[in-house]
This record gives sequence, C-alpha cells and structure tokens, in this order.
Amino acid sequence: MNNVIEFNQLSKRYFKQNQKTFKELLPALFKGKSGGRFVWALKDIDLKIARGETLGIIGLNGSGKTTLLKLMAGITQPTMGKIMVKGRISPLIELGAGFHPELTGRENIYLNASILGIAKKAIDQNFKQIVSFAEIGEFINTPVKFYSSGMYMRLGFSIAVNVRPEILLVDEILAVGDISFKEKCFKKMNQFKKQHTTIIFISHSMETVVNFCSRVILLEAGKIIADGQPEKVVRKFIKRVANEK
Amino acid sequence: MLVYLKQIYQYRELLWNLTAREIKARYKQSVLGYFWVILNPFFQMLVMALIFSVVMKVPSWGIPYPVFLYVGLLPWNLLAKSLESATNSLVNNASLIKQIALPRELFVISTILAKIVDFFLASSILVLFMVFYQIPINLTIFWLIPVFLTQLIFTFGLGLLLAAANLFYRDIQYLLGLIITLWMYLTPVIYPVEIVPESYRFIFKLNPMAVFVNAYRQIVFNQTPPNFNSLGIAILVCVIILLVSYKIFKKLEGLFADVV
Repeated sequence: MNNVIEFNQLSKRYFKQNQKTFKELLPALFKGKSGGRFVWALKDIDLKIARGETLGIIGLNGSGKTTLLKLMAGITQPTMGKIMVKGRISPLIELGAGFHPELTGRENIYLNASILGIAKKAIDQNFKQIVSFAEIGEFINTPVKFYSSGMYMRLGFSIAVNVRPEILLVDEILAVGDISFKEKCFKKMNQFKKQHTTIIFISHSMETVVNFCSRVILLEAGKIIADGQPEKVVRKFIKRVANEK
Repeated sequence: MLVYLKQIYQYRELLWNLTAREIKARYKQSVLGYFWVILNPFFQMLVMALIFSVVMKVPSWGIPYPVFLYVGLLPWNLLAKSLESATNSLVNNASLIKQIALPRELFVISTILAKIVDFFLASSILVLFMVFYQIPINLTIFWLIPVFLTQLIFTFGLGLLLAAANLFYRDIQYLLGLIITLWMYLTPVIYPVEIVPESYRFIFKLNPMAVFVNAYRQIVFNQTPPNFNSLGIAILVCVIILLVSYKIFKKLEGLFADVV
C-alpha cells in the first residue's frame, strides 16, 4: 500500500448557527425554532492519493475544496466516514498564519516553526536559508507589522517549505505575489515533486493546474464528479461552467 | 488524561513559544515596557489602600493595610486576569485554529502561563513591603506552594471551560466581566472575613477563591499552616473541576474550527 491519504465514504456537514448570542438564542428556543441548519460541504467522498502524486483540486467557489484540505490537515473532523493520513503535513492554507504583528521576523520564524512542529535545532540549522529565500535581509529584526504584504508572504512560504513536509497542502496562495516570487515558489515546488513529496494543490488557474499536476479532481457541490488526467478534467470543468451560462 | 499530558509535553517547545509571544508582544511600543506589570497592581493597591483603609477604616488583623490587601489582591488578580485572557484565547487565535491541527488547549494554557509570570513579577513588590513593615517570615511560608498549586488547578479548569464556551457564544466574555466584578466583592480581598456577620459567612465556604485568600493570609501573617481538612477538600474539588472541564473541552475540540 502506497497511499498516503485515503478518504473512505466521507461526508462533512457544517452546522450553520443562526443565533450567535444568548439574547437571540433564548427566544428562538422558546418559539421552538431550530438553532440553525445543516449544510453538506462534502458528500460520499472516496479518494486515494498515492505517495509522490501531485493532485490538483478544481471547482467553483463553495464546492468543498478547502474543506477537503482541512480534513486532510486534521483541522476539522468528518461527520461520517473515515480519513487516513500518513506522514507529516505542512499546511499552506494561508501563509503567515500565526505571525504576530508586534514580533520581529526572527521571533516569528521560531514561533511559526514550532506551530508547524519543527524543533528549534532544525530551525537554527536552516535559519540562513529561510531568511535568504524570503529575501527580507536586514528586516529580519523588524516587527512584521512593518513588512509589505509581499515580504510577509515570502517569509511565510519560506518557513513552510523549509519544514521538509511529506505532504504539502497548497490552497491558492500563489495567486498573490509578484511574478518573480511566483516563479521561485514553483521552482521550489518542482523540487519537492522530484523528491516525491505528495502535493495537494487547489487552484483557479487552469493553466497552472494542467502544467503542474499529475492528476486532477473536479468538485461540484461537495461531490467528486471527475478524476483523472489534468487536460481531460479541466476540459470537462470548462464545458460545465459554459453550459450553466 | 495521561495521554493529553503526554501530548502537551510533546508540544512543550510550542507552548513555551506561545507563552513568550504573549509576554513579549504585550508591552511592545511602550516606553516602560514590562515594568507596567509591576506598576499596575502597585497603583491599584495604593488607590484601594487610600479608600478602604484611610477613608473607610476597614480593619486588617492589626497588619498594615497595604500588605494585608496585597496578599489578597495578587492571587485575586491572577485569577481574574487568567480567566479573562483564557476566555478570549481561542477566539484570538481563530486564524491558527482554522488552519493548523494542534491540541487547542495549548492556547488556553499559554495565556494562563503568561499571567503566572506576571504574578511573580508583581509579587516582588510584596516582598519589599514585607521587609519594609518588618513582617516576620519563617518556614511555614512554604505552605503557600500547595495552596497556590490548587488555585492554579482551579484556574486551568475554569479557563478551559470558559474558552470553549466563548467560542460558541461570545456573550461569555461579557458575562465574565460582570461575574468577576461581583465575585471580587464576595471574596475577602479588600476586607477581612471577620467583619462579615456570622450568618453570611457560609458564602466564603462555597467560594473557592475565599478559601484560597484566607489560607494565604493565615500562612503569611499568622505563620500557621492551612487547615488540612479544607485544603484536602479544595484539592479534591479543584481536581474534579479540571478533569471534567478538560473532558468537555476535548469533546468539543473537533467542532472548534467549524464554529470559530
């Protein structure tokens, strides 16, 4: 068995709370109104991802892409069914999550790394690499609230990829950032690909998906409706969107 | 429970970093910086001493009122500040909770740890006062340790519960502000138990903080060990509170990322 991620008949339901305060909740309970309603984000997902695969996930907004990623990262629990994940996951769901604006770049590197589960020793060894990849130079001792949004992102990416993850989750982060940084990120991700790191990649850029991924799944309203060769799945997606109009 | 403790131990480096973040970030961009941790309770004590001792003439066991007050005020502040920050800890770390799978109690524990550091810094003033007023100290002072630890167990227990509840209903944080104010007056912080009529004193038996504050004063000023019966009951009750809250916290944990 070479699968690093397996979804087995998995469904995920969110509870949409209508009332956020007691003041609203109490009268609602009194009148017998329900506190909210259930929304199915994913339904009956069966998915196996093998080691070294580069899987693209495409679909319209609200089709369940990010929920799928969150389940893989263990951030949220499935309502029904099972999920199995083997190996260290680096969540790239949002770059710089956990940065504290008042702390310096240096302090944030250590903080962020420990959030991602990396020992201080490992960071000490990679510190120079992280700083040079992020291209923030002397700003390393400046609080990150003074960083430009580009610097902020570069530092976040630099930490996340220096973790040497076994499974890399990427959620549309490369849409932002300038061309040179994007290029650099893809170079790094290609390097991961060569080292047989499993990459799960959400993107709205069909061109990137076709060029970068070895396999693509298409999500629609919480279901996988296509799975396979990137060109084929992308073509199907474009056709469906066009038909809807 | 042991499994959870082991997990927290595995994350000790992160716990340390989160605590350090809490401490370092708070007083950045202020001239006096961390000195505020000491100044704040000091001036609080001065104002209260002026009103309650000079104006209202509250008795204090024949001990200089500032010291009498401070021995109650420091542990009270620790509880109040800990609960306030613990209640907000999960909400404040919403971005992390939504993006990374970590044992969520780390956020609660780290904010309380930061408040404990504050507490010890603020206590340095008390030591100066004790020397100034020449209040004798002997080995009984070490009885403060088990009482303090029991108070911490109590704080962690309540903190976990409040943090989880606040994630679902934000009213908790506002309600807590109200409760803390009332609770302080029901705890013998600014006055000694003895001035309360006998028939009302049962309140202090039901209020764990009153038990702790009384025990601290007894140990520091009377140099007598705490009442072992009361201490035993307090430890048992607080441990049960912690275990139950932790269990509830862990049960709800899977939902945190969905509701935050």
